[in-house]
Amino acid sequence: MTPPPGRVDGPDKVTGAARYAADQRVPGLTHAVLVQSTIARGRITRIDTAAAEAAPGVLAVCTHENMPRFAHRPTSWLPPHAQSTVPLQEPDIWYGGQHVAVVVADTLERAHEAARLVRVDYDAETPTIGLRENLGRAYTPPDGTPGALQLVRGDPEAGLAAADARIEAEYTTAVNHHNPIEPSATLAVWEGENLTLYESTQSITYTREVVAEMLGVPAERVRVVTPFLGGGFGSKGFVWPHTYIVAAVARQLRRPVRLVLTRAQMSTSCGHRPASVQRLRAGATRDGRLTGLTHHIISHSATRDLIHFNPVASTQAVYTCPGLRVSTQVVEVDMGTTMATRPPSGPANEALEMALDELSWELGMDPVALRLANYAASEPGATNPETRFLRECYELGAERFGWPRSRPEPGSMREGETLVGWGMAGSYHRWHGMRAQAAVEIGTDGRAIVRSGTQDIGTGTYTIMTEIAAEALGMRPASVRPRLGDTRYPPGPTSSGSTTAATVGVAVREAGRAAREKVTALAVADPRSPLYGAAAGEVGAADDRLFLTARPRRGETYRQIMERHGAPVHASGSADLGTPAPSGAGSYGAAFAEVRVSAVTGEVRVSRMVSALDVGRVLNAATARSQAIGGMIWGIGMALTEHTLVDRRLGRIVTANLAGYLVPVEADVPDLDVIFVDRPDPHANALGARGMGEVAGTGTAAAIANAVYHATGHRVRHLPITPDLVLAAGEAAATE
Amino acid sequence: MRPFAYAQATSAADAVAVAGRDPSAAFLAGGTELLNLMRDGLAAPGLVVDVNAVPAKGISFGEEVIRIGALARMAEVAREPRVRDRLPVLSQALLAGASAQVRNAASVGGNLMQRTRCWYFRDAAMPCNTRVPGSGCPAIGGENRWHAILGGSDACIKVHPSDLAVALTALDATVVTHDRRIPITEFYRLPGSTPHVETALRPGELIVAVEIPAAGAGFRSGYRKVRDRASFEFALVSVAVSLDLDGGTVRQARIALGGVAPRPWRALAAENAVRGRRLTPDVLRAAGEAAVEGAAPREHNAFKVELVRRTVADVLERVGGGR
Repeated sequence: MTPPPGRVDGPDKVTGAARYAADQRVPGLTHAVLVQSTIARGRITRIDTAAAEAAPGVLAVCTHENMPRFAHRPTSWLPPHAQSTVPLQEPDIWYGGQHVAVVVADTLERAHEAARLVRVDYDAETPTIGLRENLGRAYTPPDGTPGALQLVRGDPEAGLAAADARIEAEYTTAVNHHNPIEPSATLAVWEGENLTLYESTQSITYTREVVAEMLGVPAERVRVVTPFLGGGFGSKGFVWPHTYIVAAVARQLRRPVRLVLTRAQMSTSCGHRPASVQRLRAGATRDGRLTGLTHHIISHSATRDLIHFNPVASTQAVYTCPGLRVSTQVVEVDMGTTMATRPPSGPANEALEMALDELSWELGMDPVALRLANYAASEPGATNPETRFLRECYELGAERFGWPRSRPEPGSMREGETLVGWGMAGSYHRWHGMRAQAAVEIGTDGRAIVRSGTQDIGTGTYTIMTEIAAEALGMRPASVRPRLGDTRYPPGPTSSGSTTAATVGVAVREAGRAAREKVTALAVADPRSPLYGAAAGEVGAADDRLFLTARPRRGETYRQIMERHGAPVHASGSADLGTPAPSGAGSYGAAFAEVRVSAVTGEVRVSRMVSALDVGRVLNAATARSQAIGGMIWGIGMALTEHTLVDRRLGRIVTANLAGYLVPVEADVPDLDVIFVDRPDPHANALGARGMGEVAGTGTAAAIANAVYHATGHRVRHLPITPDLVLAAGEAAATE
Repeated sequence: MRPFAYAQATSAADAVAVAGRDPSAAFLAGGTELLNLMRDGLAAPGLVVDVNAVPAKGISFGEEVIRIGALARMAEVAREPRVRDRLPVLSQALLAGASAQVRNAASVGGNLMQRTRCWYFRDAAMPCNTRVPGSGCPAIGGENRWHAILGGSDACIKVHPSDLAVALTALDATVVTHDRRIPITEFYRLPGSTPHVETALRPGELIVAVEIPAAGAGFRSGYRKVRDRASFEFALVSVAVSLDLDGGTVRQARIALGGVAPRPWRALAAENAVRGRRLTPDVLRAAGEAAVEGAAPREHNAFKVELVRRTVADVLERVGGGR
């Protein structure tokens, strides 16, 4: 496969020519600003919009008192609705930051000013906030609760009792937010009965479905356009209320309306990763074979939308263990709906991998050897076949990192005030194959357009579609133009859960091959073609040209054939990788980290990191590496800096901006080393490629946490590991 | 953002005269703070007076004082070779602040006028005695990991965010306004029962320069900032030290703390603990202990007490030449 010289959308992005949802130029545009609840639980007793309505330039102020009823009311959490609560319909407040009014004005500044003038009186109740503060309310949710899992394999208690060495520990992880660089945006344009919605979404298909349902219009009348996306990470995966609110207000006003959420509103309008408290017990024989493993995880959930959004995947899928129990519980809190956050199974994976590190020290065993001692060639108990190259990840990663044959004692590597430590952990993500369609059109100029109603969320879908179509057609990448992000194209899947490249790629390849066959058929049937009379199977394609495989000089270009034909050729392709995904459809890896910890201040910096990944065949080395280093940086954030803090009494998020919620900056990120095993997985799909967006975000945080232990000799069991926790762990050890 | 009038001033007198017309007037220099406050509804001046054309730029090294114009940019001061060479604490503190982009735009005067990063202050929907006197201080019983352990009151436990101001406190600087001089130690007010009064400035008073006694250029100095992220982040704790040494003995010391109090916190007891002494491990430990004398930590910020002890001892040792 010949990769294109770079990202095909790169020049447009770096020159500013790429227009995102909110950048579209629409005549007569008006501007919406949301007013949000300042309490977390209670009721609106009075809402006074007089001053806002009288403010200059104001076109509409909509509240629960005057907003038309939506055509649908979800009764429980059911995707693609991101939440069941429909704002602006009743006075009840279920979470802080719930939309209570939307103001539309002729300029953005005037809309903001008018929004400030909306006065809301509440009858506030004391909210329930905080996971650790409310553990007494933890309960096992009913079967079928999304993300919840109660699994027993063998006899874990007997296994633990029979172990030569065992550990038991509690790990906690913080609330996290997605914080994509592009805030969520909606621009609604009605033309008669037809709506065009420019939307910042990971799924134009879901957006169309939900907006049509909420507004009570046929889906065919809703067109959703997402040419570019500045990241989503789960926050734009399902459809949040602001999208259909804007569409409804624009219909009422008969004017185009644009809404861009503020950074603070992003904290309460499009989900978050719930906090977790996890209790793990692990036991093993002297030679490191696991005998018993229990993993109990408690996460918070919105009261109205019961979900366990810290799914457990690695514990039951990656290692062999005769006695296993996984159990999940929830604590209901008065916060907005929780949501998948890159990578959704990260917190559970990191806790497991920290526990295995503790077990390795308990056993006096190398942590890579411990994992190899429990190596599973495929998911225990799963029936579908699987091809894993995880062993290769351990080997390649350890070699590149220079993983020692035996680790120096914890706390023993010191340079001045700096303590140095090494840690490793396993990476795993269960990806989701979905359904996708694609179409290829070859024009009379011999160039191809490939279309699929998917999104490029920044991961390189434009580039990968181009590359796969070019290969299937036998064209140069420059002869293929990709089109995506429009519901007028054949439907593509959501860009979530590491699904897009592996699913859309299959459909694109099928469409490309079908188009090539059609053009081949034209040539061999045409007496004017040098290929006339050849069997289709004898014709090859490369570099924009069809030729006889046995006599490559005999042939002609796509352009010559298509010019003679005088009309475009169309072909389509589809992929159905099954939804929900079969168990065992995983991508794998091993992460290795070196940290430097100040013995004076407890500050941790990552100085080296290697991630070795098995994602099946790598479709494009450049975009794959970009995805991988992005995931590793997410891991640094989860490990060291990122946490959302919520005021327990007010129920308000206090870190609701990028000065309070700390994503890693350049100075936090060392040179990142990524290795791909890059071997096709014949069980994954026709391309041999698996999902890869999420897997690199797992393992890195645990590798860093394990390295902090190695550096200091003290275990911090909470993520993120802030300096105060490092100091506290040292002090706790000193007073023991 | 509310509508406001905009005016440009070409001299300090002009700026003060124009601002005098509107009691809510605000001066605009780099804009890295004021514009954010206005966008977030935390400041709503009726008149913005742009002072960038006022001749208050540059750095001069006199016999008595080193004078830094209020409109000098953070980056410009930090990279001035004589500052780096003779006033390392100042250069280090400036470079520890903000990001390269912000340092290129932000002025010295504006840096001193930064408002607290207390997240309750920064959210217009929250109660805050600094923003709305009498509305309450939810930080005291709330998420106060960042907040003050020294100098707070029952009304406010905010932390002053400037690194520069901490270094200037260690350098015994004076803030020069258009008509008077205010020692930096008297420039910032502790909250007490009036947390909305944050500085000694009168309405419409314009900072034109900062002056540092030239003698400070002969001292050894240094700055250390402890934070949750490697860059572009405010201090959990920071320490600025300036030492007048006689061989290994401390003749005079000035020690200032950041990230722990509503103003740059001069640690007088720590200065006393090292004056006339050699910086032995015992003396370093005593200085660290003295620096947190009177500390009143809250639920989530007790770690700052130990962090101050450690960081004060560390910076004194480094600056004193122990390492």
